[in-house]
Amino acid sequence: MSIITIALPSKGRMKEDASAIFERAGLPIVAVGNERSYRGRIEGHDDIEIAFLSASEIAREIGAGTVDFGVTGEDLIREGLIDADAKMEIAARLGFGHADVVVAVPEIWLDVDTMADLGDVAADFRARHGRRLQIATKYWRLTQQHFSSQHGIQLYRIVESLGATEGAPAAGQADIIVDITSTGSTLKANHLKILSDGVILKSQACLVRARKSEHENDPRVKRIVEAVRSVF
Amino acid sequence: MPLINMPEFSGRLLDEFAARGTARIDTPVIQPAAPFLDMAGEDLRRRIFLTESETGESLCLRPEFTIPVCLRHIESATGTPRRYGYLGEVFRQRREGDNEFYQAGIEDLGETNIASADARAVNDAVQILESLIPGRKLDITLGDQAVFEAVVKALGLPGGWQKRLIQSFGNNAHLAQLLMTLASPQTPSGLSPQLSELLAKDDAALIAHIDQTMQDTGYSTNASRSPREIAARLKEKQSLTQTRLDGSALALLTEFLSLEIPLSQAPAALAGFADAAGLALGAALVTFEARTAAMADLGVDLDKVTYRAAFGRPLDYYTGLVFEVSRDNAVLAGGGRFDRLMTLLGANEDIPAVGFSLWLDRIEQARAR
Repeated sequence: MSIITIALPSKGRMKEDASAIFERAGLPIVAVGNERSYRGRIEGHDDIEIAFLSASEIAREIGAGTVDFGVTGEDLIREGLIDADAKMEIAARLGFGHADVVVAVPEIWLDVDTMADLGDVAADFRARHGRRLQIATKYWRLTQQHFSSQHGIQLYRIVESLGATEGAPAAGQADIIVDITSTGSTLKANHLKILSDGVILKSQACLVRARKSEHENDPRVKRIVEAVRSVF
Repeated sequence: MPLINMPEFSGRLLDEFAARGTARIDTPVIQPAAPFLDMAGEDLRRRIFLTESETGESLCLRPEFTIPVCLRHIESATGTPRRYGYLGEVFRQRREGDNEFYQAGIEDLGETNIASADARAVNDAVQILESLIPGRKLDITLGDQAVFEAVVKALGLPGGWQKRLIQSFGNNAHLAQLLMTLASPQTPSGLSPQLSELLAKDDAALIAHIDQTMQDTGYSTNASRSPREIAARLKEKQSLTQTRLDGSALALLTEFLSLEIPLSQAPAALAGFADAAGLALGAALVTFEARTAAMADLGVDLDKVTYRAAFGRPLDYYTGLVFEVSRDNAVLAGGGRFDRLMTLLGANEDIPAVGFSLWLDRIEQARAR
């Protein structure tokens, strides 16, 4: 029988929380070899394999269908995959790793509360400042979808930011940001505010299944999904 | 350049361009990406082939010709008017069709007689297509950004609303959404008591407040938007939220946007619409009429051209004419007037510009059918 592969985050809180969910679902994970190994299996199920990967790689592997299941944030799935819903199914939302992907602008932009306001500012930006409005983010795809498709805003430039994105406006690297926030305290500390219709995605850790035809008649696939769902 | 995958009618096309008094121009295939992303917006990023130079500059494979031709014109500082003809490969990620394909076209830079330059661009595109695909019916659609802008201005909306509507011309879903907002009353977003008080007072107090806050939060050093700009827009916004387009003005705008008639009837229909509505469309209407007459003089059959009032492109450098020639729903040629592009790309003076490009792969398919 073929092996079912589940990709789990390889480190940190995400790894612990994911392992705890599988434990409670009656699918306890044991490491293969020593504790630091990136391979694992599920006790009593020799036909299920665990691959510990980095969270963003999990999205990619799900998209490519090289793993059957993965635990990762919905933000990474939707950012990482074109036509995400055609390639994967969210089998369960796991109740940890909560983070919203939001559009945030300097607090002092008293005239900007909504995406429509931002659209007005973006439209005028080049005439006033000789360049397009700049957005610091690592979420290229989510930003484009939210700005262009949903709010008809085309006139902006994305500045890639791989970390400390909240600091970009004050540092002059960009005018506004699109980033994840869980409590909003970092945004506040950097004098940024979320637009009222600026929540692009309410993300949390999910059990994601790659859409593969061989899953259809595989009872193990159904069992894994049901076991994880039964936790909630 | 003996490229064997060139469409077999390429030679004919180049002869056509030469006969129409254009100078042949070629541009590098590898282009700086910034001008394309700046002009067309970030959406283009997904559809172009990007790479990076060793020094970190974003480069892309030429996704179209207009911007490279304009940049080359600015660089070489040749005088205007000048008409360029190009033919070469462009590279785009497409859902349908190959990722590399040929385009050809004419860019007409610096001709100050707008109406006749417009008419010549449409006529060139139509005549060339008719000679390449003889005896087949072509659908020609024409729109005019300037006429839409004139209607919006004549309706007497506040400047901010005019900008919103003009910005979304060509994006019909977004335009419809804006019209709905304009039709329904809105509640202004809540302002803090302190801010309401400041707004009621003179501008200086508001600007000083914003300036002080910026300094206190350490934001002012790199602030892109100045306290003055923020204060001015805050005031404008208060008046925008309170604006409602009354029923009759909304009906007029909707009526205008639904116009779709043969071009032969369009000047009279537009003049009639303006009269009945009591709107002065001024220069936009004069140019429209002059262009239509110039097209007729060149021999374009105006009954076969459809004027669609809502037809446009939601890019801020298009300023007037837009047109498309298609067959069986495949666009074979697209063009328009982009008077703002040259200065945006760095030209020191305003240079009026109009042009069109031909999709050679689709023309090849249409010829084969």
